[in-house]
Amino acid sequence: MATTSVTVPDLFCADPAIRDALQTPTSVTQDETLNSMALNLNARAERLRYNAHGVPRLERKKHVAFLRKTMGPFPAQYVHGDASRPWYIYWSLAGLNFLGEDVSSYRQRVVETARVMQNDTGGFGGGGKQTSHLATTYAMVLSLALVGGEEAFEVVDRRAMWKWLCALKQPDGGFQVSVGGEEDVRGAYCASVIISLLNIPLDLTADSPAWTPDGSANLLSGLGEYVRRCQTYEGGISGQPNAEAHGAYAFCALGCLALLGDPRQVVPRYLDIPRLIAWLSSRQYAPEGGFSGRTNKLVDGCYSHWVGGCFPLIEACLGIDEDDNKGQSPPTQEREDGLNLPAAPETLFSREGLVRYILGCCQNPERGGLRDKPGKGPDPYHSCYVLAGLSSAQHQWQLASRWEDEKEPDSAETIDDPVWLVLPHLDGARVYEQEDLVRAIHPVYAIPQQHQQAIRSYFLAKEGF
Amino acid sequence: MPPKGKAANKPKANERECSPKQQPQQQQQQTSSSPAPAPTPTTIAERSALFTDESRPFESARRKSGIASLPRDAQAACIALRFARLPAPARNRLPPKSQRELWRHVNDASLPIRALKRNYDYGAAGGWSFERYADWAAKRTVLTCLEGASRVFREKRESEKRGGSDPVTGERVVLTQGEIDEERGRRREMAALRKELYGVVTGRLEADPEWDDVVPIPQEEPEGALATISYLGEYAEAISYLRAVMVKKEYSPRCLKLTETIIEMNPAHYTVWLYRAANIFAMKLSIPDEIQWLNEVSLEHLKNYQIWHHRHLLIDNYYPTIADDAEAVAAFGASERQFLQQILAEDTKNYHVWSYRSYLIEKFGLWDVPEELTSIETMIDEDVRNNSAWSHRFFLIFSNPANSTPGVAATEHDPAAPAAVVDREVEYAKEKIALAPQNQSPWNYLRGVLVKGGRKLGSVEDFVQGFITGLGSDGEDVKSSHALDLLAEIYAEKGDKKQAELCLRRLAEKWDRIRAGYWEWRKKCLETA
Repeated sequence: MATTSVTVPDLFCADPAIRDALQTPTSVTQDETLNSMALNLNARAERLRYNAHGVPRLERKKHVAFLRKTMGPFPAQYVHGDASRPWYIYWSLAGLNFLGEDVSSYRQRVVETARVMQNDTGGFGGGGKQTSHLATTYAMVLSLALVGGEEAFEVVDRRAMWKWLCALKQPDGGFQVSVGGEEDVRGAYCASVIISLLNIPLDLTADSPAWTPDGSANLLSGLGEYVRRCQTYEGGISGQPNAEAHGAYAFCALGCLALLGDPRQVVPRYLDIPRLIAWLSSRQYAPEGGFSGRTNKLVDGCYSHWVGGCFPLIEACLGIDEDDNKGQSPPTQEREDGLNLPAAPETLFSREGLVRYILGCCQNPERGGLRDKPGKGPDPYHSCYVLAGLSSAQHQWQLASRWEDEKEPDSAETIDDPVWLVLPHLDGARVYEQEDLVRAIHPVYAIPQQHQQAIRSYFLAKEGF
Repeated sequence: MPPKGKAANKPKANERECSPKQQPQQQQQQTSSSPAPAPTPTTIAERSALFTDESRPFESARRKSGIASLPRDAQAACIALRFARLPAPARNRLPPKSQRELWRHVNDASLPIRALKRNYDYGAAGGWSFERYADWAAKRTVLTCLEGASRVFREKRESEKRGGSDPVTGERVVLTQGEIDEERGRRREMAALRKELYGVVTGRLEADPEWDDVVPIPQEEPEGALATISYLGEYAEAISYLRAVMVKKEYSPRCLKLTETIIEMNPAHYTVWLYRAANIFAMKLSIPDEIQWLNEVSLEHLKNYQIWHHRHLLIDNYYPTIADDAEAVAAFGASERQFLQQILAEDTKNYHVWSYRSYLIEKFGLWDVPEELTSIETMIDEDVRNNSAWSHRFFLIFSNPANSTPGVAATEHDPAAPAAVVDREVEYAKEKIALAPQNQSPWNYLRGVLVKGGRKLGSVEDFVQGFITGLGSDGEDVKSSHALDLLAEIYAEKGDKKQAELCLRRLAEKWDRIRAGYWEWRKKCLETA
């Protein structure tokens, strides 16, 4: 469908302002990638419906149809997904939810599936009778939150979950992803989310590797220091100390820290924010508009969430300057570390670029579903995180001060809840159609706030396990 | 008397089976009322229909025109058969005399007491020739014999496990290796026959006598379960045996082999990797052997995550055994490096490989091995944009305990970083930037080194200025947006907000427009600095 009336700004279709002559394998791959998406960048891809800005419509119906099929049953060649089945459920349900679908009709099936994947020793495995893993437990708990309802929440054996989390907690503050498994930032994030959503007590069992005789250590202690050790000289975050900065871990690190207290205080306490922002911002490329996961790597739709999803959180931490371009930032938040960072401008990243990349390059116009980039097949993983990224581009989050009187007297042991407020992002030129808004997604939990609040308040109100 | 009746019928039955070709003749004799002779059967189904007719001699005539129309002897035969075919309790209600008469009649007329079922379903075999069917039946007999022998083997195995003794000799039951091998061969034969005869595929483990004592735990999915996968038989079987041995916490050579089978089919199955490691440690198997095996698997599955954690666990376990032997440590480190280079040659930015490499350096203390730095330099020479190699270099130099203070963050100044090292690295980065000034990797590196070394960013101002001409003027030219970014910081460091702002404005307006929001924020940072 070649359209003649649309004009794409040259920023999003022409070569970048500066290009080096030297060719290396990295630049060759980058050039090939740009060539392969030329039609998309120029608003000339087949079967997409472009508006006057050269931005295609969100193929909502097709994506819904696609995601209704990515919860199985799968043929034998999906055997590689045998240890990740909760992920397929979460990605599909989340994607459907972000698109505005009601997924509560899946409650019974999620409940039944979750039951057989839960181990008596706590947590959920990747399938029936598999070792419990923090990633699959995270995916399963979020799936239960998405379908909602007491029956879904009550599936979780919280006492066993607590013991299992204690077994995973390491003396250096981090978490192993499974007993005897690797320790990384992903595990730290997943554990924090699980602890928060299920209101797990923070005390350690005496057989926890992190237990100390003086009783000072708990499930969250040392976590901030662990995350801090993962920030690299580039400013981004690596999966474990001493590795390369990587987008997925940036999101996990921020999400983890945001659950340790008020993010406005905790995040700057453990991370060098200016360096992190510099690195995150460097991940957005022109003309693509999308994000890459590491320095000198290619853009990929999934980083719309892993990197793009960091911005709502960062912007909320900095506060957003309502009265922009005056050079006089209101004193945003009290900064106990004496940090003196200005509020974010109207936006810290190019929302237009991200929206263009997502709608123009990541949609599969034939069978629906979203993808890494043109030429790649759609899958539930990319569908979920590309849509989450679209949500980040379309919304703006703010942190408000907690209403003190609502704080429960005995909630000292649980995570303090900051108040997150969200609005559609209205500043600047909007290049997508109003009907193509997706739901607002909580910057930490990667599900809509109402679902996060429903499960957490259910367990906050519960006495004992 | 019933036995007599049976006896009278039996020879006939045998006769029929043995000489199907005589059937039409016999039929003619017996059912004189049937009009035309049936055609000679050529298939199992046709012959079966013939046998059925024969077992119901008067049926077609009776159905056609009622019992009254039959000749008198046929009528008597019909009635006799009706009673003879009654279940015994019903038949016994006849007075004894009538019963005797009934059996006499049946015997004298040689009546077939048992009738065959009509339209027996042979499935595809209905169309087979007799020869083909005979061949099939012969194989079935062989299978039955094998199954019998196999049952004997299993019973013997059970007995051996119980510590039982032979009822004849009184000796304790012990299976010999010969018997086990024989059984293995037998199972293979049985599996092949089952497949041929019934199309049933026998699992590899089910067919292996070594696994007889394990009761597999099959996958159970509730009604409507989500994200189910229709596993192939072999995978499903292996997993169900895995569950069984994991429950038993068995660590044995056969379990190790089982993990290998599953890993071949699904290397992403983290549970099986953890269990494999547990097997190796429990049996105290040779770690170098396992690493050798792992090397091959790693090259086949470059993107796999679990492989590298497995290696990590192996090393954690192995290192203490060689830690005191400097030569062994060096040799092992060298062989690991060689392998890592091989795999990185295939996939230069593989995240897990690089992460493992940094772990190895730290664990083995390989900081000062010259080959490590050389090999990184080679990789940077091959692709100066390989950021993974740059990251590793930074780690190798600035996490080296000789050059660093524990607990100092990566983005912080470390007084322990030697000036000479900082100088060298600054020069190295500059040299690489010159090759391709818009390449961000060495710029990030350069900035990282300056901060680590506690140097002023302004110490590289001349170098940075070299990429920027006539900023803000008509003839403005910028060879590197990263240079302009750093220049803004250098001005800010010097307190020259105006120039810093100009750099940031030009970045937002022209040289790096996609990041305009960020440059805007940086301008605001100038105010608060």
